[in-house]
Amino acid sequence: MDFWSEIFMALRRNKLRTVLTGFAISWGIFMLIILLSVGNGLKNGVSSNFADRARNTYTIWSSSTELPYKGHKANRWIPLTDKDIEYLENHLYHVDEVSPVFTKGGTLIFSDKSKSVQIDGVRPIFKNIQGIKIVEGRFINDNDMKIKEKVVVIDKNTADEIRNKIRQPEEKKTNKRHLKSPEETVPVLGEFVSINGINYVIVGVFESDMMWGGTGQCYAPFSTLQQIYNVNNEYYKLSFTTFGLDTKEDNESFRKELKRNMALLHEFSPDDQRGVWIDSQMLNALETNKIFNTINIFIWVIGIAMLISGVVGVTNIMRITVKERTSEIGIRKALGAKPRSILMSIVMEALIITTVFGYAGMFVGMGLMEVINKIMEAVNAGKGANEAAVFLDLSVDVKIVFMATLVLIVSGVVAGIAPAWKAVNVKPVEAMSNRS
Amino acid sequence: MIKLEGINKTYFGAQPLHVLKGIDLNVGEGELVSIMGASGSGKSTLLNILGILDNYDGGSYYLAGKLVKNLSENQAAEYRNKMIGFIFQSFNLIPFKTAVENVALPLYYQGVPRKKRNMMAMEYLDRFGLKDWAGHYPNELSGGQKQRVSIARALVTSPKIILADEPTGALDSKTSIEVMKILHEVNASGITMIIVTHERGIANLTNKIVHLKDGIIENIEENNSQIVDFEREVK
Repeated sequence: MDFWSEIFMALRRNKLRTVLTGFAISWGIFMLIILLSVGNGLKNGVSSNFADRARNTYTIWSSSTELPYKGHKANRWIPLTDKDIEYLENHLYHVDEVSPVFTKGGTLIFSDKSKSVQIDGVRPIFKNIQGIKIVEGRFINDNDMKIKEKVVVIDKNTADEIRNKIRQPEEKKTNKRHLKSPEETVPVLGEFVSINGINYVIVGVFESDMMWGGTGQCYAPFSTLQQIYNVNNEYYKLSFTTFGLDTKEDNESFRKELKRNMALLHEFSPDDQRGVWIDSQMLNALETNKIFNTINIFIWVIGIAMLISGVVGVTNIMRITVKERTSEIGIRKALGAKPRSILMSIVMEALIITTVFGYAGMFVGMGLMEVINKIMEAVNAGKGANEAAVFLDLSVDVKIVFMATLVLIVSGVVAGIAPAWKAVNVKPVEAMSNRS
Repeated sequence: MIKLEGINKTYFGAQPLHVLKGIDLNVGEGELVSIMGASGSGKSTLLNILGILDNYDGGSYYLAGKLVKNLSENQAAEYRNKMIGFIFQSFNLIPFKTAVENVALPLYYQGVPRKKRNMMAMEYLDRFGLKDWAGHYPNELSGGQKQRVSIARALVTSPKIILADEPTGALDSKTSIEVMKILHEVNASGITMIIVTHERGIANLTNKIVHLKDGIIENIEENNSQIVDFEREVK
């Protein structure tokens, strides 16, 4: 008890020294938390933009050849046809479900409002391929496909514009200025919209999580659009899901095989860099992961460098502190202090300072991050969902921070022990005459 | 009280320095002894050995009948704490402790509870007229006050001997007289006292003057004049 009150008194009476030492530690931990949190936030933010898409998907794009081959000239357009779908579905292992994408630009008209849109004819599986999030109603289903139903799934921005149109006449009647949340009060499902002069029923609304600019995005059953536009069996793009392709190597060899077979099928040089483009979501993801790993390593390198500089700083402060106290140590020894008791009090002082200030820095840092998170959440909530977040959920692994703090504490104490041991073993007379 | 037999001390540096070359000295209980000598005569080394602040190489040192030789750090600390009181030229008070806390510090190392040691410290401060200054820090005290605090600190453990290293070295003559008067009183209460000084005047105020030269005792001068004239001796 007396031992502790003696220590606390020494800390209290040497406020400047205590606070400076403590601040160095608090600051180190604080900055480490900021760094790790911002790094994690960046990672979370970027990966949230990719998270929803199915990873095991491929897309083949039509393109033109670069090399002449077997009597064909270069720059020949390679169309994707039902033959390709048939080949993918029945002859290529690893392929699960295929959806061709027939894309048509057009104008959507509702009441007196018109908007330019892109309408994609797709199969139900496309929802998974693209990672489309339905917020209202449903996506295209097999029944739509079978009976070539004129249904459409529209993006949320377009849906909200339609709601505004629906609401306006009502407002005139009820004399209400504003409805607080038109999304919930005005249904759009079942409304008819005209796209390029053809009426479709709205059956679903999806979250538009990509930047479409001012253009709306609609999905209709592939079979319906094929019938309407009498597609001559040529597609710009085929998407499909795969199974059993887990590693980078699997995917790369699959892509190679696919490319080779497409070259055979369409008679273009297997060495042609173009012909068709094959895009693997999985390989993209792995690519992105590589970037994340690089960011991660970068953060860790800086973090560890900071920790080291913190350790060096603490070590230095401890050394100076002990040096400064050499004469006090001498006096205490002359008055009958045992070496162990002096050593203990120095080590305990160091332990208390580093622990208290270390964890204070930790809590302040994590608290600040929480506040920033809350603010960011509020700001993001106000924003449209189609704006991609750069930072998301600035958080840091508490375990890591605890460990880092512990490292600083231990290093501070260890750093204090060596010079303290030296000072304690100096003869009192020499220690007392040490006037620094 | 103190018995030195053939004390030898050599500092092993780049060039070995034989500082004490066989010191024999007896100091009886209640004596007031001064050690005089030019700088380099070995008087500080002798005082450090007497204070168990330093070891010696040859001979024996008996303190209150106990042989003080090859002590562990802990034993040395205990002996210092219980038997010896130090008074230094530069006071050596701990700057961040108040006067009363400084005086109480030796008792802390004896394990005396805070209340009791502060009470005892207050008694000693009171004895030297410093009761009103108990809560002051050393930098708020004058040189004479500081030295009185350090005398109180030396006495608080009721040691067997007081070792004073140039106790008036940092003080003006008026304050020096004051301090010497106090030391005389302390000695009169029965405590053995050894004062190291290079001032003849200070030495003249002691019973026995040990002249040290080049590591040996040149002569021991008995000084039995009963009338002590502080004003005359300390200029």
